[in-house]
Amino acid sequence: MIRLLLRRLAQGLLVVFVLETITFFLVRLLPGNPFLGDRKLPEHIMAQLNNLYGLDQPAWVQYLNYWKGILLHGDFGPSLVREGVQVSTIISQAFPVSLEVGVVGMLIAVCVGIPAGMLAAWYRNRWPDALLMLPAMAGICIPAFVTAPVFGLVLGTRVPGLSVAGWDNPLCVVLPALTLGLINAAYIARLTRGGMVEVLAQDFVRTARAKGCGPLRLLYVHAMRSGLLPAVSYLGPAFAALITGSFVVETCFQVPGMGLHFVNATTDRDYFLIQGLVFCYGSLIVAANLVVDLVLVALNPRLRSQGTA
Amino acid sequence: MTRRPGNGKGDEVSKNLRKQVETGILHVVRGMGIMAALLGAMVLTGCGDGKNSAEKFAEQGILIIGNNAEPQSLDPHKATAVADGKIISTLLEGLVRPDAQEEGRVHPGMAERWEHNADASEWTFYLREAAWSDGKPVRAQDFVYAYKRLLHPEFAGRYAEMLYPLKGAEAYNKGQASWEAVGVHAADERTLRLTLNGPTPHLLQLVLHFTWYPLPEHHVEACGGMLDRSSRWTQLGHWVGNGAYVYSGHRFNDFLSVSPNPRYWRAGEVRNRGIRFLPIVNGYTETRMYIGGKLHITNNVPPEMLARACAVVPQHFCQDPYYCTIFYRLNTARPPLNDVRVRRALSLAIDRDTLVNKVVRGAGKATGVFTPPGAGYAAEPPSFMRGGSQAEREALARHLLAEAGYAGGKNFPVLELMTTSRDVQRVMAETIQAMWKDVLGIHVEIRSCEWTAYKSAQQSMQYDISSSSWSGDYLDSSTFVELWRSGGGNNCTGWGNTECDAAIQAARVSGHAAERNAHLRRAESIMLEAQPVIPLYTSERTYLKHPGISGWYPLMLDNHPLDAVQLPTPVQP
Repeated sequence: MIRLLLRRLAQGLLVVFVLETITFFLVRLLPGNPFLGDRKLPEHIMAQLNNLYGLDQPAWVQYLNYWKGILLHGDFGPSLVREGVQVSTIISQAFPVSLEVGVVGMLIAVCVGIPAGMLAAWYRNRWPDALLMLPAMAGICIPAFVTAPVFGLVLGTRVPGLSVAGWDNPLCVVLPALTLGLINAAYIARLTRGGMVEVLAQDFVRTARAKGCGPLRLLYVHAMRSGLLPAVSYLGPAFAALITGSFVVETCFQVPGMGLHFVNATTDRDYFLIQGLVFCYGSLIVAANLVVDLVLVALNPRLRSQGTA
Repeated sequence: MTRRPGNGKGDEVSKNLRKQVETGILHVVRGMGIMAALLGAMVLTGCGDGKNSAEKFAEQGILIIGNNAEPQSLDPHKATAVADGKIISTLLEGLVRPDAQEEGRVHPGMAERWEHNADASEWTFYLREAAWSDGKPVRAQDFVYAYKRLLHPEFAGRYAEMLYPLKGAEAYNKGQASWEAVGVHAADERTLRLTLNGPTPHLLQLVLHFTWYPLPEHHVEACGGMLDRSSRWTQLGHWVGNGAYVYSGHRFNDFLSVSPNPRYWRAGEVRNRGIRFLPIVNGYTETRMYIGGKLHITNNVPPEMLARACAVVPQHFCQDPYYCTIFYRLNTARPPLNDVRVRRALSLAIDRDTLVNKVVRGAGKATGVFTPPGAGYAAEPPSFMRGGSQAEREALARHLLAEAGYAGGKNFPVLELMTTSRDVQRVMAETIQAMWKDVLGIHVEIRSCEWTAYKSAQQSMQYDISSSSWSGDYLDSSTFVELWRSGGGNNCTGWGNTECDAAIQAARVSGHAAERNAHLRRAESIMLEAQPVIPLYTSERTYLKHPGISGWYPLMLDNHPLDAVQLPTPVQP
């Protein structure tokens, strides 16, 4: 197990390094630069700004300086658009907000998706199955930029206490989390249904019962452990994506999270901020996948034996 | 016949087992339901007292206002955006301050009086006794320091051009002259003398802009010095200003708040107890938030929301003139747009009334000129557009295109029309594309770019036709007309004309307002005859404002002195 963990960690570090490297060079290939504004800057001003932030140096020198900053000082550098503000300051303000929305959204997704999937699996091809899977399919198909404004208008303006958008009271988390949660619940329900249908039809379920296994033990210990494997595999990356923010949902609900920064930094060519956010996002994806791998090994004895081998 | 669950092996599952498993699933469902309920309870804990944010903040006397975008900086020498300017003008005060109601009228600010020589090329401002928010006095040297910083050749001030009317400023900024040659001088702590390149009767309009505000020299120096771009002096907890408010709170993409500055010289006249600026980029979200009781004044109602906003909150809807023109740039360096007949044909074929009524939905006024009315002079459309119906103009467009060798659009190359990804711009481009197809028989491709790629292509002239807009920095026609100097930084059309340049230069050295306006009008007229740009409409600001708010009047520059704005108590949503 420890060997598996170390191997995965090493792979994860490599992934983050490659991701940062590709992003570094890719964003510099995009047209424009961070200092373009409504009005064209005189050439001497543009040259001074490039010089101030080292953007007039060859790309490989900038690349080395970037890693030097991270490894020696733990510094992602300054924002090039919001001058005087460090990238780490922006991320440290936005991440807790996205984390809050993401955690609540994921709880909604799990609380709704797994029971719905299990019920649908048990009543496979009967009306409860259709009743549950139809909204699940709709949840997958309808994009967030439709769901979010509809929730905002229907619930935000009519349900007392709920907030149409903004981040000025604790209830502001409800609608963004609900939007993200229900979309993910739809995926989880479909995956759970698929997994459970397969497991409930297998011989070991009948054998377990024949040996006198009770229904709860049958479900929790035998069926659910295998039936939830597809959903668990999905949960890791989905959780990382949720807690790093969604641009659409954050825009629709004016949530000051990471998603807004991600897209704005890219369109503004805020190179250092993009790098910092990609680093953060990449690290979380790697960490989430690592956790999922460990959970899968714990749930699936076959993987455990492979891992040990 | 009863259908069994399972995949065909269902028959092998005993009825008893099925019931027990169903019971188990119900347990799981119940468990998850309890978790969801707990989650809901957790979230709903602390549920409000039934009042929305607008009401709660109104009770505290705090104004909540939509501000379009997250500010780039509160340092007036790093900021360039309109959103930044709105905040900065609450935190710092210049020599004069704008009137809340009357366009172009100014009141004494840091300067209690001023005088100038006969041709308005030398001005002397006499400062009042005022203090920075840390108690130190505001001195004439603070103005000198600020101007030196923005113009310093090593500072890279993005808006340094705003100070170029000062004598020697441009040369100093480009490292070609010393600071001593710049026309800024503090005769003593309370007397500031400005020497300009030429007659500048509109200087009082210029100095309203935040680039002309003073900086607290003592504090900027203590926080890293004049040239330190990462200086902390504008950060929360370190702010020192001389405006009506001080910087009191900020979370990126959420809010920025300011609260009254007790040391402000007019502190007793500030009519609210603070302002929260919300950086809401999305007009749909902002409008929903207003209707949901989150704001007192919005920044913008997008055209698609106008009907709903008017229906839901009709008495809150405002539409004010805005000192801004929407137009298309034509790249005159590329054929066939280097032919004035083609440019005129493209312009004539656009039915601007349809555009304004159907696409912008009334949030603008169709125009054939570049400078919006309201300051200086009323521009006239070019000769080929005067009089006649739209049908006649279209006939003339076809004739001009045929003269240029493209009768019926035959052999006309496919041009590219570049727009940003904003909805209204895309729809406008599609409408104009259809008009040109119908009237001229030509086809243009639409290229929708994200903002930076669009600006990069426009500024490097990598385009055929580019949707554009221009808003005035100050209330004077020169802010529009000077754009069209040959080789001017924001010209970006490749067009230039020596007569137009001469007229602009003549306006610069003219000390008489009427004569100056005549020169500017002539420059614009020459440009419009050549049509390197196709003016489409002058913009109007559409926004929502609580009807009980007082002290807010339509202003073309949207530079409302927010200290004059008073909230009703209590605000009714």
